[in-house]
Amino acid sequence: MLFLALAVLGVFLASIFVGRYPKPYWMPFRVFQEDPLARQLVLKLRLPRLITALLLGMVLSAAGAVLQMVFRNPLVEPGFLGVSQGAAFGAAISILWFTRHPLVIELSATFFGLLALAGSYFLSTRIRYGGWVLRLILSGVAVSALFSAGVGFLKYIADPLTELPELTFWLLGGLYSVTWRDLLFVLPFGLAGLAVIYAMRWRINLLSLDDETAFSLGASLSRERLVLLVFAVSATAALTAISGIIGWIGLIVPHIARRLLGASSEKSIPAAILIGGIFSMIADSLARTLLPGEIPLGILTSAIGAILFIYLMVSIGIKVRNHV
Amino acid sequence: MSSLFSLEGIEFRYDTGEPIVLEGLSLQIPAGKVTAILGPNGTGKTTLLHIMLGVLKPDRGKITLSGKPHQAYSRQELSRLIGLVPQFESTPFNFTVYEYALLGGSPYLSPFQMPGKEDLEIVERALETAGISHLAKKPVMEISGGERQLVQIARVLAQRTSILLLDEPTAHLDLENQSRILKLLKKMSDRGESVVMTTHDPNAAIFGADYFVLMKGGSITACGSANEVITSQNLSRIYRVPIRVEKNKGYPMVVMDKGEA
Repeated sequence: MLFLALAVLGVFLASIFVGRYPKPYWMPFRVFQEDPLARQLVLKLRLPRLITALLLGMVLSAAGAVLQMVFRNPLVEPGFLGVSQGAAFGAAISILWFTRHPLVIELSATFFGLLALAGSYFLSTRIRYGGWVLRLILSGVAVSALFSAGVGFLKYIADPLTELPELTFWLLGGLYSVTWRDLLFVLPFGLAGLAVIYAMRWRINLLSLDDETAFSLGASLSRERLVLLVFAVSATAALTAISGIIGWIGLIVPHIARRLLGASSEKSIPAAILIGGIFSMIADSLARTLLPGEIPLGILTSAIGAILFIYLMVSIGIKVRNHV
Repeated sequence: MSSLFSLEGIEFRYDTGEPIVLEGLSLQIPAGKVTAILGPNGTGKTTLLHIMLGVLKPDRGKITLSGKPHQAYSRQELSRLIGLVPQFESTPFNFTVYEYALLGGSPYLSPFQMPGKEDLEIVERALETAGISHLAKKPVMEISGGERQLVQIARVLAQRTSILLLDEPTAHLDLENQSRILKLLKKMSDRGESVVMTTHDPNAAIFGADYFVLMKGGSITACGSANEVITSQNLSRIYRVPIRVEKNKGYPMVVMDKGEA
């Protein structure tokens, strides 16, 4: 764990100097000291963006770990349950029809994110066939598709010259436009989500057991699950509102954390938070550095995440259900 | 006989319109003994256990625990009084035996609290009592069925409850593991704890229990000592196959009757 914490710090410090100014890939410390433009660039653009990337990775991983354990399904992540698509829909509505004020976008994203989660959950309880895992995945796919269609519709009616390019690039996911102001608006949501998840990191184990067992051990299942889900989803939705849809971090990072530190959420959740931070800081540094133009972050995280997922599936076999 | 659970006129169905599972069920469960609830599959044994636990509420009827209405107990009080060992505990996460047993300490911790040194010592003792200290670091998915049952019992030992409910604790176990589990339950009742288990195997019940309850179709058909309850007539009626009960060292022994060749 200490190693991971040091790695977060190391990647954070290194990422400050990674970029395409004054020339591609690396800014020597001397330039930072002597060039006022470089200092401005770091302090006004790179730093808020880097902190947001760190927070984004931490929140998505923590939320993914919570969703996997609360729904007792290792194949779940915010995107699978419609949360990301719902949040994207909420943010897009706000951008197109109401206001681009970050707080309104976040609230709208959070509302639709929670609505999507509730929709997936209730739909899964109404499906009459298949196990819990299958039902939840099916309902998540259906709810995601509904919100994707909604986003598609919004793109269709958006002004093709002004609104559509912005919306499309935003949906691909990226932190290219993040400012200190954006960060200040998402920070409370993100930190509140992380704080609650971290504080309940041992208790979350209990919520991953069968309902009767968890009940016999004193868990107030509905209340505790609701608290965790509301904090996890609102943090995810708030971050999604400024980053667009960033896939796969929430699915893959909890798996890596469990593989490194074991299944108990007491250790795997803090580990997932740290690994998620490292993952997204690296992905975002690559996104803004590899090519002269910005690569959408969502494309990079999906590519890296999918490759890692395939590797984990083939090498250890992700178990879906087993009995104690 | 002092009653642990007293149930009167219990009725339960899972959903409106669904068939009734328990119908007018009345029963006294003695304190400080091993009680076996026997009956064929699908007769409502698990539902009855869940009603005693409090996770299911009866549609009608009264249930008291040590003379006090069940609903008068808080969630925390119940979780410090009653432990549950389900037939299967399904989890997709590969906890170690130690991590899983540690969850038994949950009733004594708030949702934001972490287990402390004392909780860790309690778990070590629980693993020792269950005879599985050597498995502490093993992932639960990599141990045998009998060992998994012992892990669940260790988790309940760490829960420090005086009442233990077990759902089919010996199903799917070989004879050695059956005997191991049943002897452990007996030892717990000798220490003053009350054990209630469901089973569809009369011989396992005779081996481990002091008090017997026969169930069929959601109600009680007989209860009492082994000699009173485990009779050929009672068993043949509830299991709907010819069953012979012989005596072995003063205890009944149940044999399926093959009939005339």
